[in-house]
Amino acid sequence: MDTDEDVEGNTRLVYVRFVTKLDDPFKVPDTQLGLPSNITRLGLSTVVNNVLQSGRDNWRHEPFDFLINGELVRMSLEEFLLAKGISAEKVLEIEYIKAVAPRKQEEPSFHDDWVSAVDGSNPGFILTGCYDALGRVWKAAGLCTHILEGHSDAVTSVSIVKPKDVENDTGALVATASKDKTLRLWMFDAEESRGDPSKIRAYKTLRGHNASVQSIAAQPSGDMVCSGSWDCRINLWQTKESDAGASVSIKKRKKGSHDGESQSEGEAVSTLVGHTQCVSSVVWPQHGTIYSASWDHSIRRWDAETGNESLNTFCGKVINCIDIGGESSVLIAAGGSDPILRIWDPRKPGTSAPIFQLSSHASWISACKWHKESWFHLLSASYDGKIMLWDLRTAWPLAVIDSHKDKVLCADWWKGDSVISGGVDSKLCISSEISVK
Amino acid sequence: KKRFQRLHLLAAWIELQEAFLSALVSDNGDVMEEEIRGPVETGGSTSTFNTAWISRKGSFKIDRTLRELGSGLSDILGDEGVANTSDGDGSSNDGGGDLSEGDQSESEEFAQGVEESDSSEDEVAPRNTIGDVPFEWYKDEEHIGYNISGKKLKKKERQDKLDSFLASADDPNGWRKVMDEPNDEVVQLTKQEVKMICKVLKGKAPHKDFDPYSPYIDWFKMDAKHPLSSAPEPKRRFVLSKWENEKVVKLVRAIRKGLIKFDKPKEKPGVYDLWGDDSSSMEKAGHGLAYIPAPKPKLPGHEESYNPSLEYIPTQEEINSYQLLFEEDRPKFIPKQVVIHLHLLRFTSLRSVPAYENYVIESFERCLDLYMCPRARKKRINIDPESLKPKLPSRKDLKPYPTICYLEYRGHTGPVMSISTESSGQWIASGSSDGTVRIWEVETGRCLRVWELGEPVRHVSWNPSSDIPILAVSAGLDVFLLNAGLEDEERKMINKLLHIETSMAPDDTGKISSIVSWDQDDNHEGIRLKHFKTVSSVEWHRKGDYFSTVMPSDILSLCIMWLAEEPSDSNECFLRAILIHQLSKKSTQRIPFKLHGLPVSSAFHPTRSVFFVSTKKNVRVYDLLKQKLIKKLETGAREVSSIAIHPGGDNVIVGTREGKMCWFDMDLSSQPYRILKCHSKDINSVAFHRSYPLFASCSDDSTAYIFHGMVYSDLNQNPLVVPLEILRGHASANGRGVMDCKFHPRQPWLFIAGADSVQSDSDRSVMKTISALGRFCKDDRKISGGCGGGFTDVYSPGNHWLAISCSEVFLSSPIVVVEKIHPIEISEAVSVAARGSARVIEAAEADRAAIVHRRAIVCLTLLIYNRKARRGCGAFRVSLIRRLLRVGSYAGDGIASFGDGNWVPLDGIRVSILSVS
Repeated sequence: MDTDEDVEGNTRLVYVRFVTKLDDPFKVPDTQLGLPSNITRLGLSTVVNNVLQSGRDNWRHEPFDFLINGELVRMSLEEFLLAKGISAEKVLEIEYIKAVAPRKQEEPSFHDDWVSAVDGSNPGFILTGCYDALGRVWKAAGLCTHILEGHSDAVTSVSIVKPKDVENDTGALVATASKDKTLRLWMFDAEESRGDPSKIRAYKTLRGHNASVQSIAAQPSGDMVCSGSWDCRINLWQTKESDAGASVSIKKRKKGSHDGESQSEGEAVSTLVGHTQCVSSVVWPQHGTIYSASWDHSIRRWDAETGNESLNTFCGKVINCIDIGGESSVLIAAGGSDPILRIWDPRKPGTSAPIFQLSSHASWISACKWHKESWFHLLSASYDGKIMLWDLRTAWPLAVIDSHKDKVLCADWWKGDSVISGGVDSKLCISSEISVK
Repeated sequence: KKRFQRLHLLAAWIELQEAFLSALVSDNGDVMEEEIRGPVETGGSTSTFNTAWISRKGSFKIDRTLRELGSGLSDILGDEGVANTSDGDGSSNDGGGDLSEGDQSESEEFAQGVEESDSSEDEVAPRNTIGDVPFEWYKDEEHIGYNISGKKLKKKERQDKLDSFLASADDPNGWRKVMDEPNDEVVQLTKQEVKMICKVLKGKAPHKDFDPYSPYIDWFKMDAKHPLSSAPEPKRRFVLSKWENEKVVKLVRAIRKGLIKFDKPKEKPGVYDLWGDDSSSMEKAGHGLAYIPAPKPKLPGHEESYNPSLEYIPTQEEINSYQLLFEEDRPKFIPKQVVIHLHLLRFTSLRSVPAYENYVIESFERCLDLYMCPRARKKRINIDPESLKPKLPSRKDLKPYPTICYLEYRGHTGPVMSISTESSGQWIASGSSDGTVRIWEVETGRCLRVWELGEPVRHVSWNPSSDIPILAVSAGLDVFLLNAGLEDEERKMINKLLHIETSMAPDDTGKISSIVSWDQDDNHEGIRLKHFKTVSSVEWHRKGDYFSTVMPSDILSLCIMWLAEEPSDSNECFLRAILIHQLSKKSTQRIPFKLHGLPVSSAFHPTRSVFFVSTKKNVRVYDLLKQKLIKKLETGAREVSSIAIHPGGDNVIVGTREGKMCWFDMDLSSQPYRILKCHSKDINSVAFHRSYPLFASCSDDSTAYIFHGMVYSDLNQNPLVVPLEILRGHASANGRGVMDCKFHPRQPWLFIAGADSVQSDSDRSVMKTISALGRFCKDDRKISGGCGGGFTDVYSPGNHWLAISCSEVFLSSPIVVVEKIHPIEISEAVSVAARGSARVIEAAEADRAAIVHRRAIVCLTLLIYNRKARRGCGAFRVSLIRRLLRVGSYAGDGIASFGDGNWVPLDGIRVSILSVS
């Protein structure tokens, strides 16, 4: 190849071939390139962009990330090869993907108090919980459509139970948990939007905990929710039961009446007992399986049908957040009272040691979420005010989102390409255009 | 008369002898005298015997002289004796014979000297043949001996001594008469004889014919021939024998044959000149080439003895390496060389070799060794110093424990004095001297509630029961019971609990209610317990119904009691220092124990009905059911500041104001099991973790220490105490550091309240910060120490007692400064002085004797005189104090007269006096 001439005499050349799984406009011709061995990710990205640009006009520069043998390149090529013991004599096959980093920072959406919970599982809207005891629904950055009013204390956790049900015309169903020991279910039509945010009252109040409810999670089907509380218990609740009541409340809301008596109350279907301290986080990734994390340093898996405990992992630290995802959606990511994000693989028999420990944060981790589609990507939020995007193929964070001034209390993915987060600075920040494959 | 004469003669003779002998043996004079005297006294012994005896004692020299003399004398006498015998009859009694006899015997004596030999009587045969035997043997016999023919010699008729003496005195020749004992006759010395004796005595020749130079004949000459045979020598003695001849012939033949050689060849000398010049051996190598001998090294000379060769001088590296050796392994002496201009030079002469520098030291040490006699061999023990360290488990094995600060709880504007965690660990309450009490969410650091109490908060304590979230807060003079419920129903329930029927008149309960009154406080949704003075700490019983309050007793309370005309029993006051309140009945009781000392804090046993009261020096443990003292723990410290009970209940840690922490094992003894000296300043608080084996202390040096404190269920095993970590995170402010520390009830987290204005949470720890209290009484130089509250010091100038205590000093808030007197001397209180800048005492109401001023420091000083002094100024009595308290107004700096008496302040203390209006 002619590119040899560009290279300075005293640096070695590494012959590489770029491959990708990306679609056509990002594909480079299958040719060998001789590159200086001290080239870094930025250099590789520039080379690929130059190659791509040479084929097309008006090419927009696109940052790429590079994988060698399934690991992301985070140092110079030479160092990487040395560290991994890969021969530089052969033609190196480098796969490139689009770099995972937010390209756009949306305007922050201001709350009246600390934002304690956020849920972005529905691409249509964002649900947030706040310390002023209100839940809010945001259609986009700065555009609040609904206010969920009814809790008497700070909302600690929110969950979108069911997106809009077109068949029954019932609107979206969401659930919130609060320090006032109750959970509330809300139903609204996310589509409708007026100038002012409309206030909604809960159609159902779930009582049963006798301490602050710390977390809530909904069954994928949306029929049930589970909640973890300071009273060390996990309660399972029905959401369906009183459709009538729900419709009533909608009617009432339409009338503009704020009569609380119309709210129906629900009781726990069953209770999972086992934790000895506050259940700080619950997730319900599959129909019959609930994962819970607690201040008693354990992560447990429950069978939702029988209420039996099927897994108990001991961590040694207080765990504040947990999420299930990754490879075949079974990896457990959890963060807590230390700056380390740990990932367990429950399929590995006989060990409770985490398979990954990601430690770039400086303070407690308050939230962690797997990307819904990717096997490798997850985010974590910490009290040091940073949100980090991780790829399991490297130990370094892919990107650090530094949009909050103070502790970040919650974060989530939204629409597959955005990160939404809320924190002590009472802001909901949206970082968008993250190109996770 | 004759006898007398004889005696006289004898004496004279003896005198003569004496003089003679003393001239010869003057050295032995004393001995002589004594020996001589004896015979004189006995009188019976003869002079010859005496002389013999004397000469025996004398020296050999005398002997010789006497012998010569005697021999000469005997010659003469012999001649005479012969003459005498020739002309006189043998057995006659005449004087001549007598004399010769006597002389002869005398000469015998002289001649024989020491030997007393009897072999010298050759010339004149004695008539008596008994020989030399003592005459005593014949004392009782008729005869005196035997003559030569064997016949007995009869004793003569003897005069008695007196008669003979008289006879000799009458006799003009009596002095010449001498007794011849062996022959038993008296001999008269002739004139010639006497003359001879006199000559001898004078040392002259005895008579004319005496030849002093007679030739000496040596009769026993060795070469004197003893001609045994006069026959001439036989020939054969001079002629060779036959065999000898043969031998000679043999030799002659051998010589002739040459077998025997007489000229031996000369032997070559076996030495050669080692040091000689080699040039002489040039011819050794005569191969044409010139032989050049190898150069000889210089022979070692004298200077080599003080200049060691180079290989013996250590290099610098070697000298350095000696430092690594043990001192005893190091070489004793390192040879040196002169270093001049970086060149090693040899010593040019022995004179320039320096003296051995350790000479004096070593000789001194040697002397010292000898003097001290360290005979025991010194043994170096090779012990690894690491092995001497106590075997402590590694810190990694003791995880988890707090290490890093992760969370800060910000919001207070003043120093955070106290924190308390809720039993579930979800919330934490903090009280600050900015007058607020706040509740925080532990997880996020969110402040949930704020109470504005208006007065600086000293202590907060959360009810240990999780069902009744009540916060007990001591602020100012009051204790508040606050409703900390976060939810409506809970609040209603608590409100019901905290409701007081107004019918409960506080006066019903008598005296105590005048100290503590339960009032409904609507502002803060709680109960206000009015105490008569500052409450320093509030502690709950585990069940959450009882709680105790500690008011450090001080002079103010005494003043109040006096004002209230109560019996001024000081113990009464101390009894009220600790009160136990019951929440459900809204009642207060004092503890039924007599306290010895000033109470500092109190605590309930975590499981049993046991109550701990820590006074300034000791910790007393009471059984509340039996109402008696169980144990007294002696801290040995000067001032205790805080106490914490292990959740097991058998171990207690006590923090002191000296920075020490004492761990007591109550099962072991009343002495501390361990004393941990860790802090450089006052320890403000100590805490045990409820479930982890951890305990912590925090101090004014802005640090908190974490310790591992494992208490084993096995009673034989002592608790294990391991220091783990020093937590820093708070800045020191006005001399105060970390004010309080509490563990999270379930997690290994520590909360620390600091005196700066930040609140932080470590991985495990939350810290609160507090701005500090000002030091007080700066200008009273004797008053020092922890002025943050409580008793400060006792000042005793000379005979006087002055004790000062400040219960509270706050610079921007109501200031109550109370002075304290020695409890023994209370009745002798004399005067009160106040110092400040404005009006001092507003109110001295009987119920709440707050001596309060809003802007200034008020200092009441009680000066107590001893009895003599009190007599001197008797006007200053307690009654004066009362009057002062009621109507006092500030008089000004300096000394003012008191109206009805003269007041003389103590040295060194500026005293301002209230004037009596």
